[in-house]
Amino acid sequence: MSTRTPRDDDGLVEGPPRDAGPSGVIGAELLPSATGEFEAAAHAAPVARSQWALLRRRFFRHKLAVVSLGVLALIFVACFGADLFAPYSNTQQDLLLGPVSPRVGHWLGTDELGRDQLSRVLYAGQISLKVGLAVALISTFVGTAVGAIAGYAGRATDQVLMRVTDLFLVVPALAILALALDRFGNEDTTIILVLAGLFWMYAARVVRGQVMSIKEKEFVEAARASGASSTRIVVRHVLPNTVGPILVTATLGVALAIVTESTLSFLGFGVQPPETSWGNLLKDAEGTVGTSQAYLIYGPGLAILITVLAVNFVGDGLRDAFDPRSERRR
Amino acid sequence: MLTYVSRRLLYSVPVVIVASFLMFWMVRETYDPCARLRASRDAAAVSRCEERLRLDDPVVTQYGRWLGDAVRGDLGESSRTHEAVEEMIPRALWSSVQLIFWGVLISAVVAIALGVYSAVRQYSVLDYTFTGLSFLGLAMPPFWFGLLAIELLAVGPKRWFDLDQPLFYIVGLHSGDSSGFDLDYLRHLVLPVMTLTVQIVASWSRFQRAEMLDVMSADYVRTARAKGVPRRQVILRHGLRNALVPLLTVMALDIGALFGGVIVTETIFSIPGMGSLFVTSLSDGDAPVLAAWVLVTASLIVAFNLLADVLYSVLDPRVRLT
Amino acid sequence: MTSAPLADPATPVLSVRGLTVDLPTEQGILRAVDGLGFEVAPGETLGVVGESGSGKSVTALAILGLLPSSARVSGAVELHGRPILGASEKELEQVRGAQVAMIFQDALAALNPVMPVGTQVGEAITVHREVGGAELRERVVELLDVVGIPNPAERADQYPHEYSGGMRQRAMIAMAIANDPALLIADEPTTALDVTIQAQVLDVFRRIQERTRSSVILVTHDLGVVAGVADRVLVLYAGRAVEVAGVDRTFYAPAHPYTSGLLASLPRLDRRARRDRRLHQIGGQPPSPLALPAGCAFHPRCEHAEVPGRCDGEGPELREVGPGHLSACHFPERVPAPETVER
Repeated sequence: MSTRTPRDDDGLVEGPPRDAGPSGVIGAELLPSATGEFEAAAHAAPVARSQWALLRRRFFRHKLAVVSLGVLALIFVACFGADLFAPYSNTQQDLLLGPVSPRVGHWLGTDELGRDQLSRVLYAGQISLKVGLAVALISTFVGTAVGAIAGYAGRATDQVLMRVTDLFLVVPALAILALALDRFGNEDTTIILVLAGLFWMYAARVVRGQVMSIKEKEFVEAARASGASSTRIVVRHVLPNTVGPILVTATLGVALAIVTESTLSFLGFGVQPPETSWGNLLKDAEGTVGTSQAYLIYGPGLAILITVLAVNFVGDGLRDAFDPRSERRR
Repeated sequence: MLTYVSRRLLYSVPVVIVASFLMFWMVRETYDPCARLRASRDAAAVSRCEERLRLDDPVVTQYGRWLGDAVRGDLGESSRTHEAVEEMIPRALWSSVQLIFWGVLISAVVAIALGVYSAVRQYSVLDYTFTGLSFLGLAMPPFWFGLLAIELLAVGPKRWFDLDQPLFYIVGLHSGDSSGFDLDYLRHLVLPVMTLTVQIVASWSRFQRAEMLDVMSADYVRTARAKGVPRRQVILRHGLRNALVPLLTVMALDIGALFGGVIVTETIFSIPGMGSLFVTSLSDGDAPVLAAWVLVTASLIVAFNLLADVLYSVLDPRVRLT
Repeated sequence: MTSAPLADPATPVLSVRGLTVDLPTEQGILRAVDGLGFEVAPGETLGVVGESGSGKSVTALAILGLLPSSARVSGAVELHGRPILGASEKELEQVRGAQVAMIFQDALAALNPVMPVGTQVGEAITVHREVGGAELRERVVELLDVVGIPNPAERADQYPHEYSGGMRQRAMIAMAIANDPALLIADEPTTALDVTIQAQVLDVFRRIQERTRSSVILVTHDLGVVAGVADRVLVLYAGRAVEVAGVDRTFYAPAHPYTSGLLASLPRLDRRARRDRRLHQIGGQPPSPLALPAGCAFHPRCEHAEVPGRCDGEGPELREVGPGHLSACHFPERVPAPETVER
């Protein structure tokens, strides 16, 4: 906030980090904590390639992040290996059994068709996780490219990007999604593409900011002075130095995509049966609230909560690894 | 300042109009407003419908006509209920405003209190507790929290303790024909407001804590202490006063976004606000309602963005709007 | 550790004994100040000199208990014979700004950006005395006038960013003298300023001191400032006092090789004739406080050190080498007089 002249700190450790930007801006309810998380990602400082070992050490110092990484690995194996691990098959009904509350054998209970809720959660996880990962990957890739171009080329490209971002700020994402799904079919591919089409702007903004600040640095000037082409400068010098923020943005993008997809499915605008995500399971269970089958709402919700929580912690660990100063402020 | 505000308003007019046109166009492209008549196989009725809406014209012309009427205060009629849109929107807006007002008020008070406490007592047990809870809050899908709240705080207790009626209501903002600010209203408000605030409180309190930590380690806070200013006054007059500047800006931005974003809460608790209106209109492909909806919410978002800038310059004398 | 003898036989305003400050860092505990002792007599100006990291600013903050709460501070600090180190926060609040006031470096960061300067000066008064309304306003304007701020009545309503650097520093001084404190601690008050502004601010400083007769601790790395303002000089190296002496003896007969090195590295106009000679510099780097050399902390950089021998074997105590002159050197007699440094 205030400008500071460099000064003799006399070994005082409590120098305040001064570049704190907004780090808690929440978006609309539909896009939970979007802006905040992504803007926080911008704090992750650039870093040189030779420092991977140091990064790894710093990341592993963040206990919660390490535990979360383990939890995520477990969730992935359980969901994508559901054919091996799920107690029952995805669609297997047991009409004679009907709805039973959680018990040995049916750890999360069964629905009125006698389908095992735990098995359904595991299979639904395949869709939810796939959407989360794919959206984060695609949007980060596109966003990085666009952001790098806009940040480096400047002016016209930059203006166009900012106007598009403005527009997407006021056109409700839900409408775009619902209409696109209606037009191109309710498949997870459509959802992935549409969500990626909305999310790339976050990565683009982070990368654009980073690139704009890095391209002023001396080592880039030096490269330019020695005759390197623009493309070469961006790919060889600028991008490697934005790896931290990009990685953090991508990680948080996974969480955001999972929550957004489940919210859409819950509202009835997401994937449609027979494809089922955690959001669909909750939509199915919505009617049981207030009845004796209300236990059905706990499994899918917990699955989302734990996954998102773990992804956020991993993102946090990454941010600390790339920007050790952020550690003190948590 | 005045020139700045008017210039910003001028710039945002095209953004708002383009957004609302995009909405209109996408809906027209996707849905057929005369679909129901087509099902009845009454060719005459279909052509009457098409003629009335002049669907033969290009979408731009249709939208231009709608916008022309809109400028004169006629937002068209809903293609589903045939009700005048300029009557539907204010009614929905009023419900949403109530929800947002209480949600923001409670969130702001709680978030500021938690943020300041956590920063001043950094690394205390309560700081760690609040930090843990805020991580939970940020990761909590709002719609699931709504379901949990209904099950665990409303219908669950009613079932378990065999009550005549639940402690908190889960449908709408008033029961029957009651209205106004009374106990019934409060019992309707508790759960939706809770659902709305979980993420907001988590996010704002984290933000406030970080800002407060930053400010409390600033040189001018040390100066205040060196003057002998009592701790309480240091925290409030020098710490909080400075930390509030960015928080209020963030709040203004978020409130703007909320007008288009209380969809989940309103859907779960059947509150006839802007969010519910949007969801039902979207399922019906109700182009005039949706175009008007975007016009209104986009204007509100733009207005609150502007308010954020103005607030910043009012609260921080170093910032000049030019 | 022995205390420096007094220039004035009266009770010292401030007496510091065995002050030790440990600051926890990511790399381990950092001993920023180690067993420091000194006294400040009434009306006296004590210059505290040292490189970055020598512990001078930490000492200044420790006196008023303004270090971050993670810092471990031990020893004794007495104000008019009353202990203030370890006093409760309530008691300290009554001392701060009233009996001991501080002036910080970098006035832009040290002034609250969203509060008019007059209000900040006024706050310094109202936290200690019941003054209000027109009387307070009058006093604030008077204070700003005393430190040489033009149009003080108008300027009082402006914000720090509307002031120039020199004026901000003057406003800091006005804030510090608001309650006529017995002791002023100035932490690098002129470092961030242009040379001409520095001179003006130092001038204000001197005038104020003549007027109020308060004692001053002037923390600086600028020997020029010390020569112009201080009565006595305390030289710090790696958190310890290495030399204490009157200002004349410090400059003309230093008894510690570090002091003489500092003096020799001052550029001087009268030496310009010898262009072939390079400016003297103290070799090596200041030691990391986390890994101090054994024995005398200065020995790796000392031209006169006996290594191996006493200098890397045994830490020198501060002892009297002349009237009112203390040095922590095993071989103070080897330290050349400033003129002989350059042959």
